[in-house]
Amino acid sequence: MKIITCYKLVPEEQDIAINADGNLDISKAAPKINPFDLCAVETGVQLKGLIDDCSITAMSVGGKALTNPKARKDVLSRGPDDLTVVIDDKFEQLLPHQTARILMAAAQKTGFDLIICGDGSSDLYAQQVGLQLGELLGVANINAVSKIISAEPGKLIVERALDNEVEVLELVLPAVISVSADINEPTIPSMKTILAAAKKPVTVLSAADLDLSDITELVELVSVIAPKQKTRQNIVIEGDDEQQIAQFAEHLRKALK
Amino acid sequence: MSKLSNIWVFSDIASRLPEIIAAGVALGEKVSAFVIGTEADINRAYSFGATHVYCLGDKDSQKITEDYSNTIAKVISSSTDTNTLMLLAANKRCKALASKLGVQLQAGVVNDVTEINIDNGICAKHMAYGGLAIAEEKINSPIAIMTLSSGVFEAQVADTNNTGEAVNVAFVEPKTPIKCIERRAKQGESVDLGKAKRVIGVGSGIGSKDNLQIASELSEIIGAELGCSRPIAETEKWMDRERYIGVSGVMLKPEIYLALGISGQIQHMVGALGSQTIFAVNKDKNAPIFQYVDYGIVGDINKVMPALINALKA
Repeated sequence: MKIITCYKLVPEEQDIAINADGNLDISKAAPKINPFDLCAVETGVQLKGLIDDCSITAMSVGGKALTNPKARKDVLSRGPDDLTVVIDDKFEQLLPHQTARILMAAAQKTGFDLIICGDGSSDLYAQQVGLQLGELLGVANINAVSKIISAEPGKLIVERALDNEVEVLELVLPAVISVSADINEPTIPSMKTILAAAKKPVTVLSAADLDLSDITELVELVSVIAPKQKTRQNIVIEGDDEQQIAQFAEHLRKALK
Repeated sequence: MSKLSNIWVFSDIASRLPEIIAAGVALGEKVSAFVIGTEADINRAYSFGATHVYCLGDKDSQKITEDYSNTIAKVISSSTDTNTLMLLAANKRCKALASKLGVQLQAGVVNDVTEINIDNGICAKHMAYGGLAIAEEKINSPIAIMTLSSGVFEAQVADTNNTGEAVNVAFVEPKTPIKCIERRAKQGESVDLGKAKRVIGVGSGIGSKDNLQIASELSEIIGAELGCSRPIAETEKWMDRERYIGVSGVMLKPEIYLALGISGQIQHMVGALGSQTIFAVNKDKNAPIFQYVDYGIVGDINKVMPALINALKA
């Protein structure tokens, strides 16, 4: 079975600052693999353990962050056999329908039986790429997959946890699934797998290598701005002697009523 | 505000339909609802304000709702209405449906929409970067598709005088149908901090696991749920991930939030800023948390917590 696990590089959210004008400053936030996609990679690795003759290709599309050797080694140290990245200057700020379109072209080029994506990414959290990719490829596709029950040639049985119910679904392969964050706990790479990752093959494609004639801009990103803050009382008592704590407790007591 | 000629609406969960129809009434001249179900479900859609109902048939246990996407897409694409919007509930199932429809109808999709503006094209806002920011997107395709967060529009009151006939729509078999082998109710509802009226948040400044016990005692006295900052859940692992407040964690909307030993990095605060009144205890008077509070006290958690328990017990 040929598995593709897709991932996106996103800024580390703990290092994002907010400017006075509400714009986000991501200049100090290093790119990392989207946490949801780590679960997708791990799902692929676990499946490989169950299936004879199975290979995993990690795949990503985007801008120059994907040229970073450390980020490439990071994904490969988690278990995929090889990596395919599609890099182009035009791919810096892709929206989901564009990402799906480019992944479609790349997946058609490499071939696949199963594509695994995360349910969303921690930046825009659009939650569309896996589903749109599957639909564009014309294969079975579903989101919110929380467990793989069985995989055999031509058929995959999965569990899907929805808001109020759980479904057990049978998908005919080839297929695309998007997995939820609770499907597994991604393994932390060991020094051995990190060293081995450096030797794994990487294929770099450009937009010109793929048939990408017409990507319509169905949606455009107008702005990304921090929401305005509510004004607060800002009453701060300095000191913790009995009387001061009593004063604070009194404010709390009033609010509790 | 001029209205769109028609709004298509769908929700797989019946309780979400009234507010989605309400959004349709606010934004469109016509509201066309897709219904999977019985005569009662059709009547219900009319009573909440749908002007047209398209019935996709009875519920079928072997079919998943997402496999109706081809059927819905066929109705929408054969309609004469142009520049229309389709609204669905923002849950996993409707998001899957939305993305499939997006490809089939070559339509732009936005999920978890918290604000819609149709004055200058069709624009939608939704949360991004785990709550640090709001993204605004403009949809350029003739058909726009959105999943709507709950609470954005107020549900209309049902009026059983509003009735009508449904148009029956024949099922269009998808190219690669997904078979549903089993369906069961989800087990064990866990804590939902996002719905709690009172929340106490615990941060690294709490100092020890024993103090966590004291914080828990305080939370019982004031009837609050206990949450935490990221280090408590991820580094210390003293509390479950589902109790962690902030970016990529829980977003709170309580009446009262009391932060104990939390420094107040923006990554935590985005989860707490929806609180009506914010209280904080921290020993460092320069901690950023004090910029966000209504009431704060600069003091030792080991002194303040027991004193608060005594004061509030009385």
